[in-house]
Amino acid sequence: MVTDLTSNKAPKMRARDVSVFYGTKKAVDSVSIDIHTDYVTAFIGPSGCGKSTFLRSFNRMNDTIGNARVDGCIELDGEDIYKSGMDVVQLRARVGMVFQKPNPFPKSIYENVAYGPRIHGFAQGKAEMDEIVERSLRRAGLWDEVKDRLPDSGTALSGGQQQRLCIARAIAVEPEVILMDEPASALDPIATAKIEELIDELRGRYAIIIVTHSMQQAARVSQRTAFFHLGHLVEYGETSQIFTTPRETRTQDYITGRYG
Amino acid sequence: MSETSILPSEPTPELTRTPAFEARLKRRYAAERRFRLAGLGAILFSLAVLLFLLVTMTMNGIGGFQRVTLDVPIRFSQADLSLPPATNNLGVAIRSLEDQGLPEVIHAEAARVLGEDAADELSPDAWRIVAEEIIDDPSMLGRDVELALPTSANLSAALSGDGHAELQPLARRLSEQGVLADRFDPGFLTRSDATDSQLAGIWGALKGSILTMLVTLLLAFPIGVLAALYLEEYAPRNRWTDLIEVSINNLAAVPSIIFGLLGLAVFLALFPSLRSAPLIGGMTLALMTMPVIVISGRNAVKAVPPSIRAGAMALGASPIQVVFHHVLPLALPGILTGTIIGMARALGETAPLLMIGMRAFVATPPDGLTDPATVLPVQIFLWSDEIDRGFVERTSAAIIVLLLFLLVMNGIAIYLRNRFEKTW
Repeated sequence: MVTDLTSNKAPKMRARDVSVFYGTKKAVDSVSIDIHTDYVTAFIGPSGCGKSTFLRSFNRMNDTIGNARVDGCIELDGEDIYKSGMDVVQLRARVGMVFQKPNPFPKSIYENVAYGPRIHGFAQGKAEMDEIVERSLRRAGLWDEVKDRLPDSGTALSGGQQQRLCIARAIAVEPEVILMDEPASALDPIATAKIEELIDELRGRYAIIIVTHSMQQAARVSQRTAFFHLGHLVEYGETSQIFTTPRETRTQDYITGRYG
Repeated sequence: MSETSILPSEPTPELTRTPAFEARLKRRYAAERRFRLAGLGAILFSLAVLLFLLVTMTMNGIGGFQRVTLDVPIRFSQADLSLPPATNNLGVAIRSLEDQGLPEVIHAEAARVLGEDAADELSPDAWRIVAEEIIDDPSMLGRDVELALPTSANLSAALSGDGHAELQPLARRLSEQGVLADRFDPGFLTRSDATDSQLAGIWGALKGSILTMLVTLLLAFPIGVLAALYLEEYAPRNRWTDLIEVSINNLAAVPSIIFGLLGLAVFLALFPSLRSAPLIGGMTLALMTMPVIVISGRNAVKAVPPSIRAGAMALGASPIQVVFHHVLPLALPGILTGTIIGMARALGETAPLLMIGMRAFVATPPDGLTDPATVLPVQIFLWSDEIDRGFVERTSAAIIVLLLFLLVMNGIAIYLRNRFEKTW
C-alpha cells in the first residue's frame, strides 16, 4: 500500500516497502509513507506497534542494534539512505533526532548546543559559534531562561528545559528533518505545552516526524497522522480526517480508546 | 469501570491493630537494630585492626628513621689533608682522601678525645661520610669541626640495651658524656641498601619502585583501556569475544608468582642482560595489572548510559568521536578506580619480582630503567630476613615509606578521578 497524499512538492523523505526485523521477528511490515517539509507528521499506535522502530530507520539509528535489519528503501531527497556507500554521519547531520527521555550531555549548556556544529566544523571561531548557540537556543525557546547560565551543566536544568536543550542541540546542526520519539512523554503538562508550541514554530523550516502516545498531542501538533498497528501502517492521512472520519475500524477503535 | 472501585477501601482494623501485629512489628524493629549493630561492629573491628597496624608500625618504624651517632671533634687544621685539584669525579676525590690517610686521622682524633675503645666502634664507613662532607665544603679542611658520625651496629645495639653486653658500659659512658645518641637520620631516605644497618637507606628501593610503577602504568593503562573500549564498543559478540572475556577474567585471578615465571621465561629470555631491571619488573607487573584495568574499564564503559551514546550518534558523531568525546570521559572515573586497585596491588607485589632477579643486593640507586634495582616490598622482605636488630627497625621504617608511597599514588589517582567525575 502506497499512501501518497497529494502535494505539489516532492516529498522530503519517502519510505517504500520498509520492513524492519529484530533477528527473525518482524517489527515493521512493509510500510510505505511520504514525509513533507510543510507538515508535522505524527506516528500513533499502541505500544509495540513498530512506530518507534520505523522512526529510527529514518536516520539509521537501528544500525546500532546488533540484530536489527532493514528491508526496502528510504529516500532522502530521492537518495536511498540504505544504499552502500551512504555516509551515516552525514545522514544523521541531515536527519536529527530528539529522544523520549531528555539526554543532555553532562557538559555545559553551551557545550551541549555547540557539540554538533563543532564536530562538523560549521563554525569558524568563537564568535560564530556563540551566534549558532544563541540562535539555536532562541529557536528552541530556551534562550531567555538560560542566557545567564550557559556554563552551567545541561543536566542541572528541569526536565522540560532539558528536552528543549536537546531540541536546540538537534537544530544547531541545521538538519532538514527532525525525528522526535515521544519527546514529551516524560514531561509534565506545562513543559509538554511548551514543547508542542515549539514544534508548531519549527514547522515548515524542518520536516518533523513525531511519535506520540497521546492522541490529543497528535491532534494538536500534527497535520498528517499515520496509525500503526502490529507493525502495519493501518491508515495515513490528514490529521483532522483521521480523528474525525477514520476509514478503518481499527483506527476508529484506537482513537476512541477501545484498545491500546 | 464503576466510580467506587478506585476509591481506597475501608481500612481493616482487624488486621493492623491487633496485639499480634504489634508483636510482629516489634520483632521487625529488633531485627533491624541487630543488623545495624552488627554492621557497626564490623566497621569498628576493621578500624581497630587498622589502628593497631598503624600504631605498631609507627612505634617500630620511628626507630628506623634514626641512627646512633657519635660526636667526634676533628682538628683538620692539624692534619695534612688536601683535595685533589679541581676534579668532578666523586670517586677519585674520595680515593685521594683515603690515600692521604683520612680514615686514620678520624680514628686518631676519636681516640684522642673519646678513648681508643670508642674509636674502634665507629662505623667502618664513617670516614666516607667525612670525605663527602669535605668535598661539599672544602674550607672544612682548615678548621676544627665536630661531626656526628655513625657508630658500628654493635654499639648501636648496646645503646638500645639489646645484646653486646661487653659494649654496654662504653655506650653508657659515652651517652652520659652527651656525645652518643640516637638521632633523626634524614639520610635514610637518600641512601641505598647496605650490609650495615647503620648505613642502610631506602632511596634505592624507592627509586626502583617508582621506575617499576612507571613502566607498569605506561604499559598497563593504555593497553587495558584500549582493550576495554574495543571489547565494549567495537567487538562483535561471538564465541571469540566470549573466549577473550573468560581469559581476561581468569588472568586477573592468576597467582602473582606465575606472572614472575612468565617474566622469567619470556622477558628474560628475550633480554637476558636486563636481569633485575625495573623495565622487566614493570613489564611483568603490567601483565598482572592489565586484566584488572580491562575488567574495571569494561564495567565503567558499560555503565555509560546508552542515551548519551545515542544522543551523540544522532548528531552525526562518528563512532570514534562518540568514544572519545563521551564514553571515555564518563568512564574514566571507573577506569581510574580499577587502575588504583591494580597499581596498589602491583606496588605491593614481591613474588613475581623475586623470580626475575629483583631481590639482588643493590647498593646504588638505579640510574635508569635498565639498571639493576630492587623495589620497596622486596627490600622489606630482604631486611626482615636479617638478624641485626638495626634492620628490624629499618624494616618497619621501610614499611612506612611503602605505605606513604601507596598513599601518595592513590591520592593522585583519587584527585584525578574526582576531577573527571561528572554528575547528571
